[in-house]
Amino acid sequence: MKKIETTLADLRKDLAAFYKPELHHFMVMNAVETGEKMEVQWFFADYAHPCETTCFYAMIGREEEVPSIKDIVLSAWVAEAELVDLMNINVENTAKGFVLEPDFESGPLLKNK
Amino acid sequence: MGRQYEIPVGAQHISLLEPLHFKFTTENEKIISTDANVYYVHRGIEQACVSKFKFRQVSFVVGRVCGLCSISHTTAYSQVAEKLLKIDIPKKAKYLRMLVIELDRIHSHLLCLSHVAENSGFEALFMKTMQYREFSMELLEAVCGNRIQYDFSIVGGVARDLKPEIGQLILQRLKTFMPQLEELVNIYQHNWTLSLKNKGVGVLTREQAMQLNVVGPFARAAGLAVDVRDETEDLLPWKEVGFEMITDTAGDVHARNMIRLREIYVSIRIIQNIINGLPEGDLVTETKAFPDGEATVRLEAPRGELFYYAKGNKTQVLERLKIKAPTFSNVAGMVKAFEGNEYGSAPAIIASYDPCLSCTAR
Repeated sequence: MKKIETTLADLRKDLAAFYKPELHHFMVMNAVETGEKMEVQWFFADYAHPCETTCFYAMIGREEEVPSIKDIVLSAWVAEAELVDLMNINVENTAKGFVLEPDFESGPLLKNK
Repeated sequence: MGRQYEIPVGAQHISLLEPLHFKFTTENEKIISTDANVYYVHRGIEQACVSKFKFRQVSFVVGRVCGLCSISHTTAYSQVAEKLLKIDIPKKAKYLRMLVIELDRIHSHLLCLSHVAENSGFEALFMKTMQYREFSMELLEAVCGNRIQYDFSIVGGVARDLKPEIGQLILQRLKTFMPQLEELVNIYQHNWTLSLKNKGVGVLTREQAMQLNVVGPFARAAGLAVDVRDETEDLLPWKEVGFEMITDTAGDVHARNMIRLREIYVSIRIIQNIINGLPEGDLVTETKAFPDGEATVRLEAPRGELFYYAKGNKTQVLERLKIKAPTFSNVAGMVKAFEGNEYGSAPAIIASYDPCLSCTAR
């Protein structure tokens, strides 16, 4: 797994430069708690290079808003909606209520709530 | 322009086998847009895996993510744990994992095909397909001890050996199944009534599949050659046992049926090669290490790419486990492929996606 660090400010620029639909396959987003911060991850596979996974990651504060990449990766809305519900991450233009009921307590996967 | 109507389908609906919810916006009988919802069946399995269970127990927990493809989940988890432990498993264990994965693929593909037939209004074909599928369930029970949720893959290898007489039973039953499979192919390919319901329906183009990151038979039917078995040579030696990529170009329900049927031939060949060339050796690599660091694994489940991420912290309990099921990747493509179709075709289209919400919501 190749990890590439980015920031919320550079995320869209970095992913737009990297992601080519004919070359890359967007898999999923993930978040890992690291103390007070969260590591948000975007996973891609490479059609041409077997066994290679690329992970873009950004360290964010719990209250920070993550920019949406829906216009760069058309299917990313599913992963973004899941992260909002399960990890209580604030993603731009993404509402609660895709995986969990809208009035459910957010972030059931968080260890440190 | 006609009047527009919103038609909700699911979470419980006669044509849905899973708790999915679609809201179709239709104009006359045509679907012009679709909203999807995976409908609130989250079970908190990822959280349980990092709070209530030790890492060696987790392979048994993730086997409960899905009844249909539990071998894919237990194998993917075992592989990601083995990466964190930095161990390689015996070659015999790799072969046995592939054997059960392919038996599982046969029963899963036949289940999907039967549901497409049922949702297309062809009840007799549904029953025939389910009848022919039964042998694969019996073989899985003979190999693993269970018809579903077989805890076969464990961290370090596999839990059971394959007895020689069971191997011979598999070969014999596959031989009996071959003419039945030919019969099914003939019906799904040439039946005129079924073709009216399946051909040109629910089309997803290769371009759309690529843009929407679709996986599995859904993608391959559209001409996108994506199959993790073609890419994970370092974990399981698929090409050594006869893996072959199957693709089509039409991208419709009929093409998805044919992809699944043709993939069953590949699965049969792989199983025969495994049994005829099963290596000798241990079943498990033992280690006393604890998982450390981060790792990812991709595995081709019957519905497509299954993805596991795990992070260890040198203790018995993992720091984080993330599961991405194939249906999760296909949600965006599913929504797209409804567009422009008659509302009456929706049940067959849904079944052809082979959705699994049990995996998706976890």
